[in-house]
Amino acid sequence: MKWLESPRNDAERLLREGLDLAVQRTGDEITHRRVWARIGDATEAPPLRSYRGLVVSGAALVLLGTAGVLAYSHLHGKAPVAVVAGNPTLPAAPGNRVAGNVAGSDSTPSKEAAIAEAEHAPGHYVRTGPGERARVALGGGAEANLDESSALTWDSQHRPSIERGSARMSVPHQPPGWRFSVTAGPYVVTVVGTKFDVRVASRTVGVDVSEGIVEVWRGTHSTRLVAGDSWHGPLYPEESLPAQPSLAPTSTVDNSPPVTPARGKPAVQTNQSLLDAQSALQAGNFSRAVEILTRTAQGSGPAAENAAYELGRIARYNLNHPRQAVALWDKYRIRFPSGLLRTEADLSIVETLSHMGDVRAALAEADAFVTRHPDSERRLDVQRLAERLRAAEAAADSR
Amino acid sequence: MIWDDEVWSAEALIDKTTMGQKQFTKTPLPMPAAAADAELVRLCREGDTEAWRSLYDRHAPSVYRFTAALGVPAEEREDAAQDIFIAVFRSLRHFRGEAQLSTWIYRIASRHAIRLGRRRRARELMRAVMLKESPHPTIDPTERSTQIATLDRMLAKLPPKKRTVLVLFEIEGLSAKEISDVVGCPENTVWSRLHHARAEMVTVARRMVP
Repeated sequence: MKWLESPRNDAERLLREGLDLAVQRTGDEITHRRVWARIGDATEAPPLRSYRGLVVSGAALVLLGTAGVLAYSHLHGKAPVAVVAGNPTLPAAPGNRVAGNVAGSDSTPSKEAAIAEAEHAPGHYVRTGPGERARVALGGGAEANLDESSALTWDSQHRPSIERGSARMSVPHQPPGWRFSVTAGPYVVTVVGTKFDVRVASRTVGVDVSEGIVEVWRGTHSTRLVAGDSWHGPLYPEESLPAQPSLAPTSTVDNSPPVTPARGKPAVQTNQSLLDAQSALQAGNFSRAVEILTRTAQGSGPAAENAAYELGRIARYNLNHPRQAVALWDKYRIRFPSGLLRTEADLSIVETLSHMGDVRAALAEADAFVTRHPDSERRLDVQRLAERLRAAEAAADSR
Repeated sequence: MIWDDEVWSAEALIDKTTMGQKQFTKTPLPMPAAAADAELVRLCREGDTEAWRSLYDRHAPSVYRFTAALGVPAEEREDAAQDIFIAVFRSLRHFRGEAQLSTWIYRIASRHAIRLGRRRRARELMRAVMLKESPHPTIDPTERSTQIATLDRMLAKLPPKKRTVLVLFEIEGLSAKEISDVVGCPENTVWSRLHHARAEMVTVARRMVP
């Protein structure tokens, strides 16, 4: 018999209910996939047997590198060339190189293109002056084309960082579980495989997406952009607009950077009704939240889209009614076939159906997802799920 | 009209909630790594990436739930899970198989969560001393259930050792023997901590819900 199964008062009843609900607090699929994407590369390399060898080889490499750089600068009479490349979320690709005008922290930009090998070095710069451009080869096949009067550096986590000016980033599709990140001011732009421009002006940071999907993060806040979207945010967030909490999973917390949609694409943003719905949810007043969201969903624009998606989440996670949730997300898809949350809706349906044990429907949805979103960062996850579902279906058929 | 039909109606949604919590039966999927944990560990050690993924899939939900119950705030939970699994992957060669794999992972997770809690308290103390700010209330903004939010506030009143034992027993469903393996104390101590933790929780609950 469970502790407090027969509560004697409201306090004990609340405690028991809390414990029962806490058992179900296992995080959602998207959270787990995101964590896996960050740790996946840790599994690629076998664990180190001993650190001694690593320390010795590292020290030897550093000594050799230093000697090489000193000899080079002595011969050419220039400041040491600091070449930095790479990203912690990418493999340490051999031959990370910087091509173009390359300079160390104290050196002057050269008109000649310089190519050199180096290890990741936070704090070093690649700068371009007026009329100059530079191509910087980063790890994992990624490339940054630095416009004139721009500066690229690497942060303490070895991520490329646009300090000034603008750069066009080209990132080939990354292996499963690997991500590429570039920082601009307080924002982190995370991508799987895409082309986009990042620019840092005196008071703003901007991102224009040409291909694929990128996420702009600041702390725990994120905004998802698809091809054709433009976004800008304040370089100094204390100057930003008032807090804009959102109910959508891609922008779930306060102070989301404002999104400027381009070409009429819906942006993930919110309005007062969504704020009211969120307050009602936090207070546990689900019926009030559903009423507000139903009303909002009947409208149009991003708020309606958010509300339509959010209704499914409430049905799934708050009201524990997965079948109804699938129906709601299906309605969302009919209403917003190219919506910004379309991928999330498709994923949510796949996850919910498989959670319900509706193997056949989940498999159909998973296959449709792979066809519909061939470039999605989650395609491989869904493919794996589809394989498991197929195995489950085969096992059920054989019985 | 899409929005007028029954599926969108608030009443329809709310009515369905009264039908009971368990409205479907979950069919466990036959994972490729449905083999025992020992087999999974062996495959991981051989560098089988799929095995790593299976290990993660199998244990990520419980790690998330466990760290949440130990008070890791929502914004730090993903980082905590990342650190815990990287520690698991890197230390797997030291896993001798004497305890269950899940027990071993709980041990790593509990140490990490307690360490994070210690750092958080130190930060709050510093903030209180230096900036004369009162600590932020530990309310999970992503938590939409008032019962869980209240439970978190109650759990926050327990000392870490008692809290860990209570969470492992009441939420994670471990036996006293397994808990003793996780926290590294005799079984009798586990029972004693559980007894005191339960008593303190009831006292706190009564104070919070008059």
